[in-house]
Amino acid sequence: MSLLTTSVGSFPKPGYLTKARAQHSRDEIPDEALRALEEQATKEWIAFQEDLGIDILVDGEQYRGDMATYFAENLEGCEVSGLVRSYGNRYYKKPVVTGELRREGPITVDWWRWAQGLTTRPLKGMLTGPYTMMDWSFNEHYASREDLALAFAKVLHQEAKDLEAAGARVIQIDEPALSTRTDELDLVVKALGAVTRGLSAKTITHTCYGDYDRVFPYFNKLPVDQIDLEMSNSGLDLLDRFRRDPLKKEIAFGVIDVHTHVVETEPQVRERIERALEFFAPDKLYVDPDCGLKTRTVEEAKEKLRVMVNATRAVREARGLR
Amino acid sequence: MVSTTVVGSYPRIGDAPEEQALRRAIAKFDEGVLTEKELRKIERSVVREVIQEQRAAGIALPTDGQVTWYDSQSHFARHLSGVEVDGLVRYFDTNTYYRQPVVGGPVRWREPSVADEWRYASSVAEGPLKAVVTGPYTLASLAKADGRPKPELVGEFADAIAKEVRALRGAGANRIQVDEPAITRNPQDVALLSQSLETIASEKGKAWLCLFTFFGDVAGILDDLTALPVDNLGLDLVQGDRTWKALAGQGSRVPLTLGVIDARNTRRDDPGRIAKAAVALKGKVPLGESYVSPSNGLEFLPRGKAREKLRLVADTAKLLEAGL
Ligand SMILES: [Zn+2]
Repeated sequence: MSLLTTSVGSFPKPGYLTKARAQHSRDEIPDEALRALEEQATKEWIAFQEDLGIDILVDGEQYRGDMATYFAENLEGCEVSGLVRSYGNRYYKKPVVTGELRREGPITVDWWRWAQGLTTRPLKGMLTGPYTMMDWSFNEHYASREDLALAFAKVLHQEAKDLEAAGARVIQIDEPALSTRTDELDLVVKALGAVTRGLSAKTITHTCYGDYDRVFPYFNKLPVDQIDLEMSNSGLDLLDRFRRDPLKKEIAFGVIDVHTHVVETEPQVRERIERALEFFAPDKLYVDPDCGLKTRTVEEAKEKLRVMVNATRAVREARGLR
Repeated sequence: MVSTTVVGSYPRIGDAPEEQALRRAIAKFDEGVLTEKELRKIERSVVREVIQEQRAAGIALPTDGQVTWYDSQSHFARHLSGVEVDGLVRYFDTNTYYRQPVVGGPVRWREPSVADEWRYASSVAEGPLKAVVTGPYTLASLAKADGRPKPELVGEFADAIAKEVRALRGAGANRIQVDEPAITRNPQDVALLSQSLETIASEKGKAWLCLFTFFGDVAGILDDLTALPVDNLGLDLVQGDRTWKALAGQGSRVPLTLGVIDARNTRRDDPGRIAKAAVALKGKVPLGESYVSPSNGLEFLPRGKAREKLRLVADTAKLLEAGL
């Protein structure tokens, strides 16, 4: 199989769900009512991906808010902070680690099992990585950043094992904070390794935003089968580095910029895939957007995915790939 | 007498609904249902509230909390000529973002960035108030300026910030701080920083001038920094805890602002332990003329935790004073 298409993780929430989440946060609707709408939105996204012909699906994370606090809310030893500013008028809440981290039970497995039941295509299990969880948390308990990252790794390993036991064949561990401190890249490798150790499922790590140049030497060291990279937002600048140091694993190559409202044209995306094929074998090259699409509107996200799939198909046909 | 201050930024909203006026106002302004004049009025009421909050917690030398700043870079860049403000870029190792200044031509001071705001804040401060500017080395380092040699660029930003310092003095500011976090990442550039500080110091007149470095240590360049023509040197002694050792060895002729309360983490600091470590610098550092502060701006914490950190600053200063 060549040039398989996939997504990074999140999709935008439809208007009815955004509204229901706001109502739920004000205790105006019960848990079950929210859950029903989360399921409806998930079904819609799975059907959309199937109809479009995407090869490896995601559930779109319709039931998750922030990617770090979602796990914080479901872990013992972890609370959620008050509001802190991200930029402009945007505020978010952070995990606060107040005691020893423990998993009360599986966090993502029920949703994964339910969503996988809606499709015969493989559905990714989605975890937020231990380094990112550590970097984005306030730490009131552990002695060091390393101790905290490894504590998160321990519970995430249990979660990955449970996903695998439930049947997940692909598990993605997001590390958007990977490039924040280039002096801690050895810790990223160590903590990720503690999550992926002994797994037979295919493992992926996604990262975005940052000083790739300094991170580059670590790509081959990351203990996963595939790395998923934001490529288009940086104008494919990274490609030349791969000429000097070839990647020894699979790559999911971002061909869609998620930070702009503008929908790419099919020729634009074809060109990006063709460029990628100069560096990567088609059976090791996966095609996806740069990052989660949750900041786009539902319509923009759908259009962008449609262009991505059509462009990939056109490249496959032109090159006689299957 | 050991005194107390902050580094600059303060959470502009809190978790209580009544602490979210500014967030609601900006959202309404963006929707076009609030005028700019109405927004500025609410901004000013938050400035007043933030200053009062700092004083109530025992901070002798507060700031306006940088409540009106979009971020520490674009807030200056948008008032300079030769610079455009572009997309979001991650701010150091914080999970926050700034709008990146892009240098297109010669950088020149055009109009005040903070002098007018300082005038208002000072009028409601009921006591001394510190003005803060982002330093030329950091502005140049975090801007996008393809092909421009760094010394030239830092020089142009230094001239511009020197003019802002002059404007601040014109507005009546007599305590001015220059923030230079970027030097902790590239200490080998200390000569550039020194030159730009001389440019700024030439405009300071009788004002008290402080250089603050944060987000890391300055252990390797401490001697260079203490030799600068400043009245106070601010140090991040949490993320930059390696500077403690350098201080114990080399000392400092200039009074310091000891950034000892962790402004990046909600964990409760131990004032007793910190004061003890600071007392150990007795004889090496003019502690009696120094300040205690958080390690960097407080806006990375929720408002309630920021308030708690202010009280810890005050507690630490008391214990340090008692230990001298
Ligand atoms: Zn991403």
